[in-house]
Amino acid sequence: MGVVHGQEMVLNIGPQHPSTHGVLRLQVKTDGEIISEIKPFIGYLHRCFEKHCENVTYEQVIPFTDRCDYLASMANNFGYVVAMEELMEIKVPERVEYIRVIMAELQRIASHLLALGTFGLDVGAFTPFLYMFRDRERILDMFEMTCGARLLYNYMWVGGLSHDLPIGFVESAFRFLDYFEPKIEEYNNILTYNKIFIERTADVGVMPADVAISYGVSGPNLRGSGVKWDIRKDEPYSIYDRFDFDVPVGIGEKGNLGDCWDRFNVRLTEMGESIKILRQALTQIPKNGDVHQTIPKKIRPPKGSIYKRTETPRGDLGFYIISDGSPIPNRLKMRSPAFTALSVLDEIGRGWMLSDVIAILGSLDIVLGEIDR
Amino acid sequence: MVKYFQNIWITLTTLLKGMGITLVHMLKIKRDNVTLQYPEEKWPRPERNIGFDHDNYNVIRSRLHVDMDDCIGCLKCERACPVDCIKIDTVKVPSRGEDIKEIGHVGVTSNGTRKAMVVTRFDIDMTECCYCNLCVYPCPEECIYMTGGPNAKKHPIDYEFSEYDRSELVYRFAKQGSKDGIERIMAEQEAED
Repeated sequence: MGVVHGQEMVLNIGPQHPSTHGVLRLQVKTDGEIISEIKPFIGYLHRCFEKHCENVTYEQVIPFTDRCDYLASMANNFGYVVAMEELMEIKVPERVEYIRVIMAELQRIASHLLALGTFGLDVGAFTPFLYMFRDRERILDMFEMTCGARLLYNYMWVGGLSHDLPIGFVESAFRFLDYFEPKIEEYNNILTYNKIFIERTADVGVMPADVAISYGVSGPNLRGSGVKWDIRKDEPYSIYDRFDFDVPVGIGEKGNLGDCWDRFNVRLTEMGESIKILRQALTQIPKNGDVHQTIPKKIRPPKGSIYKRTETPRGDLGFYIISDGSPIPNRLKMRSPAFTALSVLDEIGRGWMLSDVIAILGSLDIVLGEIDR
Repeated sequence: MVKYFQNIWITLTTLLKGMGITLVHMLKIKRDNVTLQYPEEKWPRPERNIGFDHDNYNVIRSRLHVDMDDCIGCLKCERACPVDCIKIDTVKVPSRGEDIKEIGHVGVTSNGTRKAMVVTRFDIDMTECCYCNLCVYPCPEECIYMTGGPNAKKHPIDYEFSEYDRSELVYRFAKQGSKDGIERIMAEQEAED
């Protein structure tokens, strides 16, 4: 008997599919259950962010940056205002810097909780998802207490913040950290070291470091491949050089270096590092200071351009702003980390089974709002 | 062979560990319960004492509201809105700072500013609003705000304002008949002159 060649089948996953994390269509070529090609189709959530920014003033861009990566709005605001302040040469007060770092790190924990929870959901673990959402809710409560919004904050402004911290915020943040720190152990017990979870994720979707670098993958996905690259550490912006924290990298503990489990574990360990930063920032924060002090009356940056990148929960987010001296940006380009993470999917997803591709996609932690913009 | 049984052992122990955590949560359901029966019970709104300007400044994002008696028609909120959901039309008043009884126009705001404009149209389309709060800050008379905000006593928080028809979400704050009224008054004045 000769070898039987099966016919290749083209299968569409999405655009409305629970495991594509948004409106993403994956066109996969399957041979039986083995994937031979993955073609992501994006653009279902395209809202003309960059073009729209050329028609609104610099302050009005901030609510739109919120809506790009809607799971880490604070980090997006942060990236934009840091770029604008460097362009306009504004030095913000100490207290503002500390509040920004506190908010960005709380947002990092919230975003990672969602990423880990939905990744667990993708491979069939429902309970950790609920536990992680429960804890994320407490962070959102703190954001609501500060600026009134739970998801899309418009909190950081060029040169300052929209509101000062509410009275009792520092105490409630410490209370949250005391509550949350033991929970990481609980997540480890319920999901990370669960044998079924390890079987599903270890050695699946191995992304070697050279592939990750050549595709421009950044953030926890890159660190999962063993590359120690964190902009907070290597190219410090704001006041990140004052804090003492480690950059967790994958070591291939359960399988090959750069598999789904490594990426998962890097995110989980990073939450612990964020807690470290938060504890230092909350103790060092200056007691008083006006957060509106350096907000310019009219935002009219000088002619010129700037490219500034910051570390969001998903990787390095760059803002390229060209100013022609008017209150409206001439061109605004956003370099999104989730876009590069999605582009590597074809390379690392080939040869795996259909169910593994779902796990790989979940481990990359993409947000479609940021990919399409 | 050893590895085979080791594998089974690890699987069983890690599984039971996870089950143990869920069991503890199940037994302590009274303490750890986070689910609320929403329409009947609601989460308490977090305390929001902003410590600098106002003692009890509530920064909640909810429905926008305008105190028309204080509005001077400066169009600052309209210009600040990134999605253009605020639409304002104004007409110049015949004499600045005087009440016009026929259309219910109040001449002086509660801050003491004498108005030069009659606002004939002040529409906020809450379906377009992106709750960014940018219109609230530039207002010189502090007359546009999110309900539950600075005047929380007068306007309790309202974040549940769903409607069956989307046209009902366009809130028209200008006083009724003010457009026709001011036009008539202007025409009368011209006839007198």
